[in-house]
Amino acid sequence: MKADRRKLFQKPWEFREAALIALTLNAVGFALQYASGGSGVTMPEWPMNAITLTLSACLILAVGLGYRNNRAVAWMGGIPLGLSLILTLAALSFIGGMVPQESGGNPTAVRLGLHSIFSSWPFALTVVIFLINLGLSLSWKLVPFSIKNLQFILFHAGFWIALSCGIFGSSDLQRLVVPVEEGQANSQGYIIKSREAKQLPFSVFLHDFSIEEYPPQLLLYDPKTDRLVMNSAQAIPEVCTGATAEWKGTKVVVTDFIASALPGKDGIPVPVDPAAGVPFAKIRITSYEGEGETWLSTGSPMLKPAAVNVNGFFLFMVAGSPKSFRSAVTLRDENGFEKIANLEVNKPVNFKGWKIYQMGYDEQSGKFSTLSLIEAIRDPWLPAVYLGFFMILAANALFFWNGIKKSGASS
Amino acid sequence: MIIDFTTAAYLSIAFWASGSMLSIAAKSSPALKKTAGALNLGGSLIMIAFIAIYWHALERPPLRTLGETRLWYAALIPLVGLLVEYRWKISWLKYYCMGLAAFFLTINLLHPEVFDKALMPALQSPWFIPHVVVYLVGYVLLAASSVAAWHNIFLSWRIKEEKSYDALSHYLALLGFVFLTFGLVFGALWAKDAWGNYWSWDPKETWAFIAWLIYLGYLHAVSHKINRLKLQWYLALAFIVLLVSWFGVNYLPTAANSVHTYQQS
Repeated sequence: MKADRRKLFQKPWEFREAALIALTLNAVGFALQYASGGSGVTMPEWPMNAITLTLSACLILAVGLGYRNNRAVAWMGGIPLGLSLILTLAALSFIGGMVPQESGGNPTAVRLGLHSIFSSWPFALTVVIFLINLGLSLSWKLVPFSIKNLQFILFHAGFWIALSCGIFGSSDLQRLVVPVEEGQANSQGYIIKSREAKQLPFSVFLHDFSIEEYPPQLLLYDPKTDRLVMNSAQAIPEVCTGATAEWKGTKVVVTDFIASALPGKDGIPVPVDPAAGVPFAKIRITSYEGEGETWLSTGSPMLKPAAVNVNGFFLFMVAGSPKSFRSAVTLRDENGFEKIANLEVNKPVNFKGWKIYQMGYDEQSGKFSTLSLIEAIRDPWLPAVYLGFFMILAANALFFWNGIKKSGASS
Repeated sequence: MIIDFTTAAYLSIAFWASGSMLSIAAKSSPALKKTAGALNLGGSLIMIAFIAIYWHALERPPLRTLGETRLWYAALIPLVGLLVEYRWKISWLKYYCMGLAAFFLTINLLHPEVFDKALMPALQSPWFIPHVVVYLVGYVLLAASSVAAWHNIFLSWRIKEEKSYDALSHYLALLGFVFLTFGLVFGALWAKDAWGNYWSWDPKETWAFIAWLIYLGYLHAVSHKINRLKLQWYLALAFIVLLVSWFGVNYLPTAANSVHTYQQS
């Protein structure tokens, strides 16, 4: 017997209707985006975003539980629509992953929001319908509660919370760059994009900024091809006393190394305080033209680097890349409460609801920089997003465990 | 270093190749089975030993460049094949896995990387190892899942029979998805500490999110009982998206803005 093919929009709705709805949604989204001149969606700020989100959550739960036997509602919270929206989100993210997300570019693409896809109308509409779909399916597993559904509930609720709070909370995120000079305090930050200055509820006093570098490196430059020559070991030689390197018949041995020195009389460097000097290395070069010994230095903004010409190639020493940089600061709020902290990359410090980060420094001056760029970030929605994340992780741990158990049964 | 990469790579490939040949021969003479297993395992152990030595010499975990992650991949994927054989008595998967491992080592042999100890401050974090290793295990499982799916497609096309290994590709995908999720969330938690944002739509993040959504889609398609061959095609092709998020991102027009390109040319 040949089964009749279901007509489009004949009930019950399935994947084709879901795909069509998702496509229509995006067509409307792109049209809105184009009509609005590419300005995108602006999220309401606190407390409007929280009110909107709470009301929406209550509404979804009420509709889900009140009309769970209604076909249209069942379809709205069903897998066909869910899967279509997951793939739509993937497709929109694909645009975001292919088209550089920055200002500028083809005017039509800009107006369609292709360069700012994640704040565009089609993305926002898809997320809204996705949250409804996810929320409805969640409501049916929440009531009546059963421990069997725990994994489902944790994953879907976690995703709902992380996604909704991440997006609705983005308007309350404050991110300010605070430049501070050594020995000075600053309580003004600015927004990177708009350069708009903002007053912080605390000040940052910088005692000291310091950089630790990796050892300097030896490089051989070929001026004819404008390229660096790779040595026989396929490694960038680090400079320390006794280090050796070899490039096609040219052998280099470091016979002496001073991490911080300044040029003295007769060209012999004199060791000085690490804050004032630059690395110097005495090297012995052996090639088919003979043997010679000379001093190399990396140079600094104040000092010309010393390189050496070896048979038409230039051998020089460059300062190592920064290994770590840190700022010793005192944070002080309006009531005089103080906190002494060491700011370092990957080690932010909490202060009065803000997270304070070591962001950068004056890269032109390198390790001589007396300027530290501090970043102050306030994200009041973070705990909610993290709650979502941890629920997702817990759900996946359960998923893993059940998967392992079931896979044993199926074999 | 005690052992250089070229020697270690050739040695591993030789172990896998001879182990595979012995495994095939062991079908008729089971006495060879143990030796074959030892050789297959040996290939991965050599890679693991090399990674350990390399780690020591670099003074940082060898997880920064794509070439370094390929080493881990090459060491781990044959282990998945061998585990599947041990657990479910399915022996064909390991050949594909060792083939893939040899392929990744060959890429590294053809494009030797510069030995560079430097690790930028943003990468110096307790999250570094869990984030990357969890991802690698996920990639390895999903690669194996994709291989199993191709095998299933091949079986249904050649033999036209229902007997296939759908459960295998499914459970590998399920486990892979779990690792992918952990990798993604660990990455978000780390990003908050390093850059102040748990999510910033960096190209690598975006692609990792796409790959995650694609496998999320698979799990929903499964629970909606979609035609089994369609699912195998889905799994077989989904891995391509994962490859883009692993390697491809560096070659896309968006790569210039990525904070995830630690490659030095």
